[in-house]
Amino acid sequence: MSYREKRAWIALLSYCAVFGGYFFFLWQAWSLDEAFGRELVIPLLAGAVVALVIAAVVLNVALALFNPKEATAPTDERETMIDLKAERIASYTLSTGVVCLVGALLMGVNGMAVAVFLLAGLVISELVKSAAQIAYFRRGA
Amino acid sequence: MAIENEIRRLRFENGEMTQQALAESVGVTRQTIIAIEQNKYAPSLEAAFKIANAFGVPLESVFRWRNG
Repeated sequence: MSYREKRAWIALLSYCAVFGGYFFFLWQAWSLDEAFGRELVIPLLAGAVVALVIAAVVLNVALALFNPKEATAPTDERETMIDLKAERIASYTLSTGVVCLVGALLMGVNGMAVAVFLLAGLVISELVKSAAQIAYFRRGA
Repeated sequence: MAIENEIRRLRFENGEMTQQALAESVGVTRQTIIAIEQNKYAPSLEAAFKIANAFGVPLESVFRWRNG
């Protein structure tokens, strides 16, 4: 497994763990009919972002320490192409999510719910990007 | 893929050159050499010339186009 593929796995697993927990907690709060407003969403989101940054930094530093040669090597042409292909798929995912949310806003869905779903769209597009990178690395290109 | 190559044979004929050694001389990762060798990835013209140069042979001795 190449260094870049390991990095894609780190991104995928970090996003799954952190935002999986975030959205699960939010969904539980929502289903219990608790206060669902800025006072819940903002601190939870701040915590998730901090957790994501810490997880990404710690895991990437550990990976670089175990693979010092690959960590300092520039990205080659195949890796660059894989990044671009994955970015394109992720941008389609995000665009679809944004169009759906614009429709939801026009139909009168409340702003806080739209904000939460917009974040979900961003997270899903990141997951799609990492998953696409891994798939391309596995397939060869 | 329509582009085939003779990299495996050329590595063998060049003292069983490792994929890592070839990757370092071309400036790509070993995984990229593996993908090229298995016809899963068609390299850029620049990388193709570098590979041919690493074996000291012309480009057409390394890569060929398969019709159909």
